[in-house]
Amino acid sequence: MSREGQKLDYAAAGGNGAGGVGIGVLSLDLLGQVLDRLREPRDRKACRLVSRAFERAEATHRRALRVLRREPLPRLLRAFPSLERLDLSACASLDDASLSAAIAAAGAGGLAGLRRVCLARASGVGWRGLEALVAACPRLEAVDLSHCVGAGDREVAALAAAAGLRELRLDKCLAVTDMGLAKVVVGCPRLEKLSVKWCREISDIGIDLLAKKCPELRSLNISYLKVGNGSLRSISTLEKLEELAMVGCSCIDDEGLELLSKGSDSLQSVDVSRCDHVTYQGLASLIDGRKFLQKLHVADCLHEIGQRFVSKLATLKETLTALKLDGLEVSDSLLQAIGEGCNKLVEIGLSKCSGVTDEGISSLVARCTDLRTIDLTCCNLITNNALDSIADNCKMLECLRLESCSLINEKGLERIANCSPNLKEIDLTDCGVNDAALQHLAKCSELRTLKLGLCSSISDKGIAFISSNCGKLVELDLYRCNSITDDGLAALVNGCKKIKLLNLCYCNKITDSGLGHLGSLEELTNLELRCLVRITGIGISSIATGCKSLIELDLKRCYSVDDAGLGALARNAFNLRQLTISYCQVTGLGLCHLLSSLRCLQDIKMVHLSWVSIEGFEIALRAACGRLKKLKMLNGLKTVLSPELLQMLHACGCRIRWVDKPLVYKDC
Amino acid sequence: MDRSQNHIHGQSAANFCYQFGSDNPLLGMGIQQQFAPFTSPFGASSSTNIPHMDWNPATMLDNLTFIEDKIRQVKDVIRTMVDNGGQLPCRQGDLTQQQQVVNADLTCLIVQLISTAGSLLPSLKNSSFLSQPPAGHMDTVNHVGSSSSFIPNATTISEENKEDMCSPEDYEELFKGFTDGAMEGGIEIDNVFVEEQDAKDGDEGGDASMDGENLPPGSYELLQLEKDEILAPHTHFCSICGKGFKRDANLRMHMRGHGDEYKSPAALAKPPRDASVEHELVKRYSCPFVGCKRNKLHKNFQPLKTILCVKNHYKRSHCEKSYTCSRCHTKKFSVMADLKTHEKHCGRDKWLCSCGTSFSRKDKLFAHVALFQGHTPALPADETKNSSDQISRVGSHQEPAKFPSSMGSSFMWGTSSSDDRGLDVKGLAGCSEDILSTGNFGSFNFSFGPADGFTGEPSGSSFSVLPPEHFQSAQKKGKN
Repeated sequence: MSREGQKLDYAAAGGNGAGGVGIGVLSLDLLGQVLDRLREPRDRKACRLVSRAFERAEATHRRALRVLRREPLPRLLRAFPSLERLDLSACASLDDASLSAAIAAAGAGGLAGLRRVCLARASGVGWRGLEALVAACPRLEAVDLSHCVGAGDREVAALAAAAGLRELRLDKCLAVTDMGLAKVVVGCPRLEKLSVKWCREISDIGIDLLAKKCPELRSLNISYLKVGNGSLRSISTLEKLEELAMVGCSCIDDEGLELLSKGSDSLQSVDVSRCDHVTYQGLASLIDGRKFLQKLHVADCLHEIGQRFVSKLATLKETLTALKLDGLEVSDSLLQAIGEGCNKLVEIGLSKCSGVTDEGISSLVARCTDLRTIDLTCCNLITNNALDSIADNCKMLECLRLESCSLINEKGLERIANCSPNLKEIDLTDCGVNDAALQHLAKCSELRTLKLGLCSSISDKGIAFISSNCGKLVELDLYRCNSITDDGLAALVNGCKKIKLLNLCYCNKITDSGLGHLGSLEELTNLELRCLVRITGIGISSIATGCKSLIELDLKRCYSVDDAGLGALARNAFNLRQLTISYCQVTGLGLCHLLSSLRCLQDIKMVHLSWVSIEGFEIALRAACGRLKKLKMLNGLKTVLSPELLQMLHACGCRIRWVDKPLVYKDC
Repeated sequence: MDRSQNHIHGQSAANFCYQFGSDNPLLGMGIQQQFAPFTSPFGASSSTNIPHMDWNPATMLDNLTFIEDKIRQVKDVIRTMVDNGGQLPCRQGDLTQQQQVVNADLTCLIVQLISTAGSLLPSLKNSSFLSQPPAGHMDTVNHVGSSSSFIPNATTISEENKEDMCSPEDYEELFKGFTDGAMEGGIEIDNVFVEEQDAKDGDEGGDASMDGENLPPGSYELLQLEKDEILAPHTHFCSICGKGFKRDANLRMHMRGHGDEYKSPAALAKPPRDASVEHELVKRYSCPFVGCKRNKLHKNFQPLKTILCVKNHYKRSHCEKSYTCSRCHTKKFSVMADLKTHEKHCGRDKWLCSCGTSFSRKDKLFAHVALFQGHTPALPADETKNSSDQISRVGSHQEPAKFPSSMGSSFMWGTSSSDDRGLDVKGLAGCSEDILSTGNFGSFNFSFGPADGFTGEPSGSSFSVLPPEHFQSAQKKGKN
C-alpha cells in the first residue's frame, strides 16, 4: 500500500477512535478529491472499505474501472455512473451477450460519460456488442480493439457509429480490410490516433481514403501492412501528422520516403524499422524535408550508411532526441559524427550493431550528455572503458542495456553505479557479472528493473546486496542463476517488497521453503518457476495464498507439482490469468478443479499432462470453455477431443495452439 | 475522308473493331452501311489457321482426294437415311444422331475446302479479277437525304487501293468471298456481334472530339438524315425480290441466288471506290432533332462522324429506351448493344456504397466515397451472415440476450439470401447462353438438294449458316 493509503487508513482509524468524528464529516466532494489523489487501485479499495461515505464518494467519483470478470460487470456499471475509462481487456468470458446486457443494465445515462474503452484481446466481443456499446456511449473518444484477431469489417463498422472517436487501435484485427477502415474514416472524421498494425488486408486504397477523410490525424501506425509508396504519398497530405510508424513495410522504399518528405513539417517521429527496401538515401531525403524530426527509428533496415545520411542527421541537431540504429554496421567515425551532429540525443539504440567499440562510444557520449537510455545489447566489443566514459558523461542515465557484453565486469559497473544515481533499469543478461558487481549496483536506490539472466556466478550474497538498498525494484530476472538458493529469496523479500515480475527459471536449488518466502510478495503479478524440480504443491500453496495479485504463473517442467498445488491455486489465486502447467504431475481431477474455479484464467498451456485422461481434458475444458482465449495442447488431443468442444472453444474466441513435441524429461 | 481512313476500312475485322469512325462515308441511299467484316461461322480458326503458303499441287491433290472420300462417306450415310425413311419410320433418336453425323462431316468438309482454297490465295495475288473493278457493276452514288426513293442495289464506292490489296488482311477478306462463292449458296451473314462492336466504336463521344480531329465548319460536307431513314432496320434492298439487308455485303451474297451473273467473283467482290470520291469533301452528319447539340442549328454544334454514330446517337438520345435489363429490371436502353454491355456486368458489381451505387472495382468505390461527404462503403451481406452465424452459435449455449440490432441482422439475412438468388440466376443465365450457342451450332441448317450441288453445281436450295450470336440475339429480342 502506498504512503497516501496508509495515511488515510490512519486518519480513518484515529477519527473513529476519537469519538466518531473524522472522515465521516467530510463532504462527498472532499472525499472524492481524496480518492482522486490515490494512485494504487489497492489503496482505493482499502478506502472504500473504511466507511459508507467513502464508498459513496468512490461511487460518484470513480472515473476508471478495470473489470476482471464478466459476472459483476452490470452491477459495476450501475454502481459507477461517472465512469470515463473502462478497461475490459482482462475481463474473462466477455461476449456480446454479456456486454450488451451489462450496458442495458447500466441504463440510459449510465455510460453517458464514458470516453475510453479498452477491449484489447476481448476476442469474444463482436459487432453486436460494439454496436450496443457505441450506442450507449455518445461521448466515446478512444477504443482499443487490438489483438481481437477475429474482429473484422463488421466490428469496425460498428465502431464507425461513434462520430466523436479520436483514438482507435486495431492492432492485429486480422480480418479488417479497406472496407472496414473506410467505414471508420467516414464515420469518425475527427480521428487523431490510429493504429492498424498487422491489419494485413488494408491496402493503399484504404490508406488513401484515410488521408482524405481524417485531416486531424496526428499519429498513425501502419506497421506490417502491405502498403506501398502510394500510401506515403497520401499520408504526406496529412497536415497535422506527428507520429508515423511503418515497421516492416517491405513495399516501401526510398521513393516513398521522398514523397513523405514533401509533406507538412509537423512530423516528429518516424519509425521505418525492418523496412527492407529503405536505404540511407531515402532517409536522407526524408530528413532533408523534416527539420523538426525528434525520433528516428531505423532498426534493422539499413545495411550501410552513407556520408549523406550523416550530414543530414547533423541538420537535426536541435531537435533529434531519439535515434535507433539497431542491426547496423557502424564505425567509430559514424558514432563520432552522430555525437557531434545530434547532441540533444536522449535515447540511442545500438542493439546488435557490429563495430561498436569503446572509442566509438566514448566519442558519442562525449557530446551527448543528455543521454538517458543507451541500448548496447550484443555490442560485445565494449569493455569497462566504454562504461567509464558513459558514467563520466551521462549523469542523467536511466536505462542501460548491456546484454551479452561479456567483456565488462564489476569495475565498469562500479563507475556506472557511482555516477548515475538515477539509473532505473539495467540489463546485464549474459554478462557474467558477479556478486561484487551487484554490491556496487545496490547503490542505485532508484533501480526498478534488474536483469541478471544467465549470470550463474551470482549467489545469495549478491541478492542480499540488492535487497539491502533497492527497495523500489519492480522487476528482477534471475533466469538460470542457479547458484541462488532459498536463502537468497528470503533476503530478497526482506528488502524488495514491490517486486511485480520475478523470473526464477532453472534456479533449481530453490525448494518449497524458498517459495514460502516469496509468499510475502503481495504485489507479485508475474512469476516464472520453470523447471524448478524441487518445488511441490506445498510451495505452490504458499505462493497461491500469499501472492494475491498473481496474474501469470509458469510452472512448466516443475515435475513435482501435483494436484495439491493446483488445488491451492484453484482456491486462492483468483486473479490468475495465465498459467503454464506443462509436464506437471497433475491429474484430471486437479485440472478440472483448477479450470472450474479460476474465473479469470484465460490462457493455459498444458502440454504433456500424462496423468490426465481424455475425459479429464474434456470435462476441464468444458468447465472453462467461455473464459479461455488461448490454449496450448498436444496435437494428439485434436482428434480425440469432441468436435463440439473444439467448436465451442472456437466460437468463444479461443485460439488453440496444437504442438507436436516428444515427451522428454529434462533435468536441468 | 482521308486516305488513312480508307486504309483502315480495308483492314481486317479485328483491326476494324478498334477504330473509331472507320465507317466509310458510303453513300447510296444515305443510310447504307459499309461493308461489314464477315465472321465466318467457323470462327476465327478457319481464317487464322490458313497459312499463306505458295501453291502446292501435291498438297492440293491430297486435300481434294480427302474431300472426295469424305463426300462419298456422307453420301452413303444420307443414302441410307433416304432408304430407311422410305421403308419404315425410323426412330427419332437415330435420325437425329445421323443428322448430327452428317452435320459434323459437312462441317469438316467445309473447313477442309476452305483451307484448301486458302492455300490458293497467294497465287491469286496478281490475278486480274481482284484488282480491277468488277465489270457490270452498277455504281450509283446517292447523296444522303437527297432522295427518298431508293435504287435497290445501289451503292458502292471503290475503296481499295492496289497496294492495299497486297496486305494479308485483304486476302482474308477476299478469301472469304472466294470460299463463299465456291460454296455456291446464298450465305446470309447478319452479324449482330459486329454491329455491337460498331456501336461502341461509333459512340457519339467518339467522333470529332475524341479523335483529336476537329474539323472547322465548312471544311466538310454536312448531311442530315431523316428520322425514318435513321430508324429503318434495313438500308440495302434487293432489286429483284425486295428483301432488305443491313449491309451491302449481305445483299451481294443474297444476289447470288438470283442468277449466275451475280456469282462472278467480280460481282461478289467489294465494289471499288470511285477515284473521284476520294477527293470529295469529308462528310459529317447532323442529328435531325432540333435543339440537340448534334443538330446543325445548335450554336455549339458538334457533328457526328458516321452514319452509325447518327443511328446510335438518335436512338440513345431521342428514342424510347425499350430494352430492359433482364437481371436488374431497372436499367433501360435504347441500343441493343448497350443493353448487352450492361448485362455483362449487371449484378457483378460487388463494391457497394451506402447510397446504393455499385462499382465493379474497389478503387472506384473508394474514389466515390472520398468524393461525397457522408457516403460510406456498404459491407457485403455474406460477411454479416457469417458473423451472425457465429453469434447464434455462441448464443446457443449461453444466456440468450436481446440484441438491439437483431432487426438489422435479420434484414441483412434477407438481403444476403436474395443476393444468392441473384447469383444463381446469373450462373444459370451463363449456362443457358452456353447451351444456346452449342445448340445453335448443332442446329445449323445445312440443307442440300442433291449432294452434287455441293461440289460446284448451282442449285436452288439455300445454304444458310447463321452464326450463333445471331440466333441468340434473335431470341433475346423476342424475349424483350
